[in-house]
Amino acid sequence: MSTLKLLLDNLAHRFLHHGSWRGYWEVLMQQFRPAWRDGYFRAQIEAVRNLRSDMLEVILKPEKAWPSHIAGQHVALTIEVNGRLTTRVFTVACGASFHRKTQKIRLITKVSNEGALTPYLSSAKPTTWVNISAPKGNFTLPNTDKPVLMVAGGSGITPFIAMLEDAIENKQLSSAPVHLLYFAKPNEHVLLGQLSALQKRDNRFTYALLNRQQDGQVEAHLSHFTHAHWLVCGPHAMYEQAQKVAKLVEAPLLSEHFAALPTVTTGSLSEKETFSLVHNGQPLAVNNQETLLSQLQQAKQPVTYGCGMGICHQCQCVKKRGVVRDTRTGELSDSAEQLIQLCVSQAVTDLEIQL
Amino acid sequence: MNTRVSINTETLQEASSQSDAQLHQATIPSPSVSKPDYNKLEAQLDAIKSEVKGKIGAEDAAYIRRIILIQRICEWSGRILIMLGFIQPLLWVVGVLSLATAKILDNMEIGHNVMHGQYDWMNDKHINSKGYEWDIACDGASWNRVHNYEHHTYTNIIGKDRDFGYGLLRLSNDFRWRVKNVWQFATYIVLSVLFQWGVSYHEMAAERVFFGKKKDNRKNQVTHSELKKRFFSKGARQLVKDYVLFPLLAGPLFLWVLSGNLIANLLRNLWTSTIIFCGHFTGDVETFKEEDCKNETRGQWYYRQALGSSNIQGGNLFHVLTGHLSFQIEHHLFPDIPAKRYREMAPKVQAVFKEHGMHYNTGGFWKQYASVLKRIIRYSFP
Repeated sequence: MSTLKLLLDNLAHRFLHHGSWRGYWEVLMQQFRPAWRDGYFRAQIEAVRNLRSDMLEVILKPEKAWPSHIAGQHVALTIEVNGRLTTRVFTVACGASFHRKTQKIRLITKVSNEGALTPYLSSAKPTTWVNISAPKGNFTLPNTDKPVLMVAGGSGITPFIAMLEDAIENKQLSSAPVHLLYFAKPNEHVLLGQLSALQKRDNRFTYALLNRQQDGQVEAHLSHFTHAHWLVCGPHAMYEQAQKVAKLVEAPLLSEHFAALPTVTTGSLSEKETFSLVHNGQPLAVNNQETLLSQLQQAKQPVTYGCGMGICHQCQCVKKRGVVRDTRTGELSDSAEQLIQLCVSQAVTDLEIQL
Repeated sequence: MNTRVSINTETLQEASSQSDAQLHQATIPSPSVSKPDYNKLEAQLDAIKSEVKGKIGAEDAAYIRRIILIQRICEWSGRILIMLGFIQPLLWVVGVLSLATAKILDNMEIGHNVMHGQYDWMNDKHINSKGYEWDIACDGASWNRVHNYEHHTYTNIIGKDRDFGYGLLRLSNDFRWRVKNVWQFATYIVLSVLFQWGVSYHEMAAERVFFGKKKDNRKNQVTHSELKKRFFSKGARQLVKDYVLFPLLAGPLFLWVLSGNLIANLLRNLWTSTIIFCGHFTGDVETFKEEDCKNETRGQWYYRQALGSSNIQGGNLFHVLTGHLSFQIEHHLFPDIPAKRYREMAPKVQAVFKEHGMHYNTGGFWKQYASVLKRIIRYSFP
């Protein structure tokens, strides 16, 4: 099968001038199978419901070929929003056992009205076809005899729900206990029913619902668990606190953290700021005043370029992550992977690009 | 100081009636057309652009996917019908026309426009200017350098835009007359017949890779050996595909398929060449001098784009088959707007031109084509 694929891809590349054989036929296949896309898996939206006013639960049914996940892993969800393929990464918020039994997976996401994908998702109709990636990530329950401490911040609860679901289902919890510290704003904890059900099924699992206003910072709660294996999922600031303590007490730490994108306003344009630009793996400090092209040139980096005014697309490259501003229109880019032109782009956040 | 070369005596007479005040306003001096208020022109054209940009979305994505679908259907039904020519020669004829249509769609409405970045916003792995490669002898990256960069940035600036006459034809008095220009009409015919190879060889000719004195004012972005490698590699694959691989697949019908593919390629060459000549070398199109365009504003750039291009009127099917290069003026003003949108932009652009007293060069196909032929013949002589 893979030899045939290799041969066809080779033929497509040589004689059809196309990246892949499947890619060449993509548009034709889409006539019969919506959202059929080279390099992606298909999935159908089964249900969308609100867990809270700004928290959404999406049930997806991936196609059979989708390799199931390990609890704690994430997938990239791609949806065509007004003609534009928009991708965001979500933790699979259910165990692999749930997928095995129902052929469905669950995603949970916070809806941000300024977001590119989540507002669309909240109005997406069941039976809509979308794309997902293969499951990725190393944030899974470690194989350990030690007790496990889970620290969740906000929507960082989702991988823990998945891990606990599978561990309890498969009777994998070691004799040592698992304790979850779940931080969220007051009255913003979600999935409480499921948490208490999990605790009823296996009393080696315990949890505490916390908020920083009443219960203080994360650090204050960690000192009781110095002998445990730590898992942390939440905002970057929370991870940093936990990491500091973990270093001190030499607790093993596994983490997944997300830096919320800074809210960008056009007002901040006048203030000179410096960001980090990673290009082909190399770091470079860039400011938000000059274009990326001129700064790369000043740093004597090998860049292809042409007109310098956004017409010719010679300096175009793939932005892996981060937000740029189009100097011609002031428009801000998406935060996910897309093509940008260096000569008309300024940094608005830290960036990673591929030249 | 009048540095712009006037092509047409009619426009000269028009110019003499313009007010002197206007003549001294602008930095690009011109004897032929009144100079617009560049800032106003810029604002008006920018407004047309941003209005259309706001509308771009699902409709445009569906459109280009539909064209790609039609291209696939035309190409493969064409290739199959060509092989069925032994049953009924008419099938062969339909097959050839179908394959030629597929190649024209691939090169013009899909290839040219996608490679301009018109659909980059879709974030599609296969429909973007970085990844797209077309069914033509010319290597896509080479085309992007010469066409998207040089031609679209320095449109019709003599010495910078090598598309003006392609270094083969003398199309204005900016070039010294040489004896070879006497038979340049024949050169033009040969160029049209072999157009895909002309396009393919274009960058190497200018870089003097094989022949001629190297020019030292050219900044090379790509080495000559890389240029050669890509030229031969892409060209060879095209030749093998159409003249070896598919004919061999047809077995005893080798010659049917070979000749069918040859004619399909020829039809594509003649069509693309003709449309492109009509967009740039009609009688009224103007040329510019390098020193005029130093430090030009966006408004001045728009102005130069406007006067360096000409449109062809026609029906919707005609526009699709030209890749909407029948809206060459709009294409040069807004090269990265999805080309089908030029249809709705054109009346607005024309109204703006009128307000500024600028010539909006448009006409039916035969009128524009006659004008091109006249120009080629006119400049055959000193």
